Amino acid sequence: MTGILNKLKENLFLTFIVATYTLIFLLRPQTGTQAIHNTGYFIKEMLLIMPVIFILTALLDTWVPKQTIMKYLGQESKLKGIVLSFALGSVSAGPIYAAFPICVMLYKKGATIRNIVILLSSWAVIKIPMLINEMKFLGPKFMIVRWVLTVIAIIIFSWITSKILKNEDLEIENDEDKVGLNINQDTCMGCSLCVQEYKEIFGINNKKAFIKEHNFEPDEEKLKKAIEHCPVNAIEWFDKESA
Amino acid sequence: MDIFTAAVWVLTAGFLVFSLVKDKNKTKEAVKKAFGMGKGMLSSILSIIFAIGLLLAIFTPESIAAFVEKQNVFIATVSAAFVGTITLVPAFIAFPLVGTLMNGGVGIVPSVSFLTTLTMVGVVTIPLEIKAFGRKFTIIRNGLSFFFAIIIAFSMGVII
Repeated sequence: MTGILNKLKENLFLTFIVATYTLIFLLRPQTGTQAIHNTGYFIKEMLLIMPVIFILTALLDTWVPKQTIMKYLGQESKLKGIVLSFALGSVSAGPIYAAFPICVMLYKKGATIRNIVILLSSWAVIKIPMLINEMKFLGPKFMIVRWVLTVIAIIIFSWITSKILKNEDLEIENDEDKVGLNINQDTCMGCSLCVQEYKEIFGINNKKAFIKEHNFEPDEEKLKKAIEHCPVNAIEWFDKESA
Repeated sequence: MDIFTAAVWVLTAGFLVFSLVKDKNKTKEAVKKAFGMGKGMLSSILSIIFAIGLLLAIFTPESIAAFVEKQNVFIATVSAAFVGTITLVPAFIAFPLVGTLMNGGVGIVPSVSFLTTLTMVGVVTIPLEIKAFGRKFTIIRNGLSFFFAIIIAFSMGVII
């Protein structure tokens, strides 16, 4: 249900944009041309960074074990985690939305909400290439004072965020809370790779995968393969020991 | 391409080679996953980019400057912060613009509030952020960032 609603909302946004562009081109063609010109720049900016961000995220997801993320960015990381989050955000490249897939992946692997907020915010405002630019146009004193104040502000409001938000508020399935097999219906594209891997459990219905058999003794090899082959990571499996 | 973007490419390429050497199948899965992620985000990102392009064409940096200049400090600061939230100006435009603003007599406080919300709060990226983290997280993060942007701006005014 939420899937359909989201689809509609997304298309609504798109429809709205197309309509506005049409209107602008009819009323003020010059503004329209300028808008297309701006858009071209942003598309270039996106293409320079997003493909590599997706690949990097997927690779990190594959190779960095959960324990490592938990150790450096999780509950027990404390100050180390905060410093590391700032450092990661500061050397980053690309607009803030480039940080979203990375942060979701880190959070799934056990990073705290606080560190995610720090990473996102520093990704947005205190990137080193930006600081150099700022120094050039606004002077070193301006840059340094703003940098210090921004870091302090991020430390404070990331703490506030972590106090207000509980893990269940983030609509990301938290690995720890679940036992059993689950398919995320919002992300499943109905590619049926899972059915090919393990047809005893998975089936396709209405262009989405579903679980045919809930009470089963899993063939771990086959199940693992099905989970790994899912291109959108929609299948989740937690047995009792690892949960 | 700035050096940091280039560094991310080099780093990822190195990682990819390492991954290929270590386990070809796992690498293939990872690349497939990356494509899946890209597919999932592409349409949202594109609509956002078209929206930003349009907003920047309507609210040109010059018109923003002209508007902010006429207000008193408090209104200027808050409205500059608001304008900052709807647009997402690349740094190489934003900094010279703020430089001109300040040379043109706009106070440091509105200029800083504009600069901070410009990058940290994004109305146009909110749909994408909600998709990634959920509504509550998005509202709280953007709300707090906005509030602190104004605090940072006034503190800057006191210090400098």
